[in-house]
Formats: sequence, structure tokens, C-alpha cells
Amino acid sequence: MESTKAPTSNERPGGGLREVAINLLTILYFAFALFPVFWMIIVSLKPSNELFSTYFFFHPTFDSYRTVLGLAGDSGVPFVRFFMNSLVISIGAVLLSLIIGIPAAYAFARFHFRGSKDLLFTILSFRFAPELMVIIPLYVIYQKLGLFDTYIGMIWVMQLVTIPMIVWILRSYFQDLTPELEQSALLDGYTRIQAFMRVAAPLVRPGIAAVALLSFIFAWNNFVFPLILTSSNAQTVTVGSLTFLGGNRPNYNLTAAAALVAAVPPLILALSIQRYLVRGLSFGAVKG
Amino acid sequence: MATLKLEGLRKEYGRTVALEGTDLSLGDGEFFVLLGPSGAGKTTTLKCIAGLEEPTAGRVEIGGRDMTGVEPYHRNVAMAFENYALYPQKSVFDNMSFPLKSKRYAVSGEEARKRVERVAETLNIPHLLQRLPRELSGGQKQRVALGRVLVRPADILLLDEPLSHLDAKLQMEMRAELRSLGDMQGTTSFYVSHDYREALALGDRIGVLHKGKLHQVGTPEKIWHRPADTFVARALGQPEMNLIPGAAVSGAGGRVFRSRDGEIEVPLQGNPEVSEGTEVELGIRPLDLDLADGEPRPDTVEMSGSVYVVERLGRELEVTVTVGEHRIAAITNDAGARPGDRVRLRFPASKLHLFDGESCRRLEQEAGVMDRG
Repeated sequence: MESTKAPTSNERPGGGLREVAINLLTILYFAFALFPVFWMIIVSLKPSNELFSTYFFFHPTFDSYRTVLGLAGDSGVPFVRFFMNSLVISIGAVLLSLIIGIPAAYAFARFHFRGSKDLLFTILSFRFAPELMVIIPLYVIYQKLGLFDTYIGMIWVMQLVTIPMIVWILRSYFQDLTPELEQSALLDGYTRIQAFMRVAAPLVRPGIAAVALLSFIFAWNNFVFPLILTSSNAQTVTVGSLTFLGGNRPNYNLTAAAALVAAVPPLILALSIQRYLVRGLSFGAVKG
Repeated sequence: MATLKLEGLRKEYGRTVALEGTDLSLGDGEFFVLLGPSGAGKTTTLKCIAGLEEPTAGRVEIGGRDMTGVEPYHRNVAMAFENYALYPQKSVFDNMSFPLKSKRYAVSGEEARKRVERVAETLNIPHLLQRLPRELSGGQKQRVALGRVLVRPADILLLDEPLSHLDAKLQMEMRAELRSLGDMQGTTSFYVSHDYREALALGDRIGVLHKGKLHQVGTPEKIWHRPADTFVARALGQPEMNLIPGAAVSGAGGRVFRSRDGEIEVPLQGNPEVSEGTEVELGIRPLDLDLADGEPRPDTVEMSGSVYVVERLGRELEVTVTVGEHRIAAITNDAGARPGDRVRLRFPASKLHLFDGESCRRLEQEAGVMDRG
């Protein structure tokens, strides 16, 4: 695979005015899309007594962050624990999904067995069926099985989020590999499983990286499952951040700070793998 | 080293028949070339032998053992793929030593290194061993793919159009080299090609495959001189064999071939007994035709027409002559012909081929009078 140089937009001749218009629109869009983030940052920096002041000027302080992270004062909310829960659950869910999903994607790409198409579609349907549809029965089942508010239970239910993405995107990566590579390995004295492990899987490594990080972000952001299926033990940051709003005072500054801290891991990941992400996503979109 | 036997090998993909019941038997150490246009079922045949495709019906026997349904890695068969199928993430050395590292062959580090280096030597690629496949030219990839096949002991070598992506000059070189490599190894080889020159140059025997049907199997001489039907006749030779539809009729001095438009008449004495009125096709290779001058010679047949096109092929010329409704191609050294000229075409009477008009099969002489050409 050779890296192709994408022509940058300013190489296009005679597009001066167009260029300006496009840039303006982009800036407008970002102002619109990033305004909530900007608002959150401002709120998180406000001291409690200035939270509801109506003029713009305030005395910025990092107190909210200190409180949220448990460095000063007692918020009564174990935020750091929620954060660690999120890490354990998201990483666990992605690892489990990779172990199941990579071979599954390979099987769907290479073999047409009875019902393979239906099965593939069923897996996809986990993505577009609303979580709320299944959450009540899941709640009952989890209570009965003792999975409620446990890591294992959360990692398990997150498979609904992570597996479909991994299977669908990696399937198209595997389809792009010529089957002759594995056939060659079969004739070179390797079994089908060895051919998959030693030839096919290493070649889709970029795809695996992209899809792992992408599904991590989706698992991290999930709100409904931890909301219903956890209480204090395995609660994640998405739900945990909201608990700052409970009690007597609406601590909007703490909530904003918590949400911003919670956004850091996905943000770092997204930035570090930006290139892979675009490729991984467009792969899934164009084919399959 | 082993024999190879195919019995009633048949492969269907859904409703399409890729390969009709094929019977074929290869001797130990034989170099066999399967010739056919693209889509004829050549690669399907290879993959059935290798075990990469499961035949719908029939048997594959390697070294006398029934291998139908046996996993590829138990068959001890090596295959070079048309698209090389080099592992892109591995260096040339790792590509070539990959088979040796498998459990099947389990050759240790030092011994593996020696073998790879020895094969690399014969293929003239020792300087490439540390490169990645994407850093190689087509010809170099070709050699590496062959190297990976030759580095291990195999009962059968399967070669799927290994030269088709190379430029003409390199093809010639590799063709010569391949044959000497084959001799060196003495391994039974099954070579697939769409190039009749390659087939004639390389094969101990050639099989001609068309639309999943094996039309003829034989030595290059036999395939060239006695094609079993019109398809085989056309598959070999450039320009193609001239085929003129007509019928066998009674004429002066015995049975005569007369073309449909009545313009071409060729005496059939000494040729197969054909009953009067049988629809037949007359075949003459352009190489057997020449422009005639002077008096008619004995044992030759002539026909006259006007030159349509003259094309230089290098030393020779391809002259297309209009005879009646027919365009007849001839290869000649005679540089004098110009479009529009009236000319006579001449060919030795022994060089004509006769095919049944309906079945397209070759009309053979009675047993005992055979083998004149």
C-alpha cells in the first residue's frame, strides 16, 4: 500500500473566492458547533457565587476542577472512581469486542455460510435499534443474574455498542485483501487459522487501530446503559457527572468541569488517530 | 515429485459450470501446460488441484493417493499465483522462507537461510532479499513468487500465468529460464497460460481448455499439426488459422472441397473419406500459405484473389487476400504485394486441415493411413 498525497485545497487554481466562502462557512459552523463547549468552559471556570450573574465578566478560578477531582473540599461525588470505572469498562469492552469481532469480521468477509447475511444484518441492527427499546428487559435480567452494577455486566452490555462497529468496518477491510494471500499461506503449509493470524490479521492492523479507538469513544460516551444498569459501584463518568446536579444546589460549574474532564480521553484519542479515523469510517461507509 | 490424475473433475458456481467433467493424467516430472482464453476455467482447475476450491464432482489424485477433500496444507502442492500474492508486510527473505517456517515443512533457521539463498541465487535475486514487495518491479516480484514456490519440496508445482504481467522481452527470458528451472527440479508442473507461444515453448504436453471443456490434450507437435477441432485450431497461431466453410462435393478427379460461395475448390485426394454433400470447414494456417509465382507445382493447391491489406510483422509480412467472400491471411517474405494486386496463394496439399461443419471436430483419416504431417 502506498501513501497517496491528497491534493490540498489551496492547490486548486482559480478558486480564490470559493475558498474564502468555504472557509467562512466552516468558521460559522464551528462557532455554532463549539459554542456549547465554549459555554461549558466558561461555566466551569466561574466561582459558585457568580454562576448566575448576567454580565460576562467574572473571576476565573480552577476551584471546580479541584473539587471535582477531589483535590480540595468534598463534593460528595466519587468522580475519580467514575472516571476509572469508565476506563475499565470501555477498555474491557473494546478488548472483548476485538477478540470476538476480528475473527467474526474475517469469517463474514471470506465465507458465505447459511444465514450469514441475516446474521450480519442482525449484528448491524444492534446499532440502529434504540437502546431504550431493550433497556427494561435487560434491567430485569441483570437484576436476576446478579450482573446489575458490575463491571462484567457493563462490559457485556457494551458489546451491543462496540461489536457491530468492529465487525462491519473490519469486514470491509478484510474484503479489500485479496484472498490469494491466505490461499498462498494455506499452500505454504499453514492451516486456515494460522493463515488468518499470520497473514490476514496483521495486514488490517490500521483498520483494527481505527475501529478499536472509534468503538472506545462510543463505549465511553454511552449514557443509557450505565444510567439504568448501574448504581454506585460500576457507574461511569457520563452518568456520574450528572450527580453534581443532585442535592440542594445545582452545581453547574462542577458538572461542566466534570464533563470537560470526562471528554479528555476521547479527545486525546481522536486527535492522535485522526487520519486512521477518517479512513476507517469512509471504508465502512463506501463498502459493505 | 508425483503423478497427478483428475477424474471427472467438475466445478459449478451456482448455475454456471466453470469446469465440465475433466479427465487428465500427468506423469511424474511432466511439464504440462493448460492453454485457454480468460474465463476458460484454468484457474478453477488449479484451485481444485490445490484444494482451494472444492470440486462439485470428481476426484483429484496426487501420487496415487485420493486427495479430494483433503486440506490444502496436507497436499504438498506449491502454487505461484497470477497476482504473485506476496505478503506485503514481509521482506523478500521472509516471503521465501515463510513456507519453510510452517509446521508442515519445519525447516530450522540456518538451514532455511541456506535454502532461500540458494534459490535466490538461481533466480538472480540475492540482492533483493531485504526489500519489501512494494519496492520490487513486476519482473522481480515474479521471481520472488517463483522463489517461494521452489524453496520447498513439493509434489506438484502449480503455476498460474506467472509470466502474463511481464513485458515481452522479460517474458522471453523467463520462459527460457523457467524451463531450465523445471528440468533442474524435475517436479511435476502444471502451468496455466493464455499464450500459445508460451504453451508451445514450455509444455511436454498441452491441454486446450475452452468454456470449462478440455478440447484436446497432446504434445505441442500434435496440438499444432493435428488440432482436434476448430477451437483448438484457432487457439494456436497468430494470425489465426484460416477456416473456410463449405462442403465436400464430387469434382474432377474425385472428392473436392468447395467453399459456400463456390470460389474456392480444393481437391481432397489422400484426405479423409467424406461422403458427398457433407458440410465441412477447411483450415489452412497462414504460415503454410505463400504467394505463388510461375507454374503450379505438384502437390500444391492454389487459389487466386486480390490483396486486401499488407501488414509488416518484422521480417515477414502478413498479407490478407480476398478470395470470393473470404479473407485469407498468409505469412510471406514476398515484399512485392500491394493492396489491390491480383495474386495467387499456394499451399502444400498435405497441410490442409478438415473439420466437420456441424461438430467442428477434425475429420481424421482411417487408421493406418495417418501421420503424414
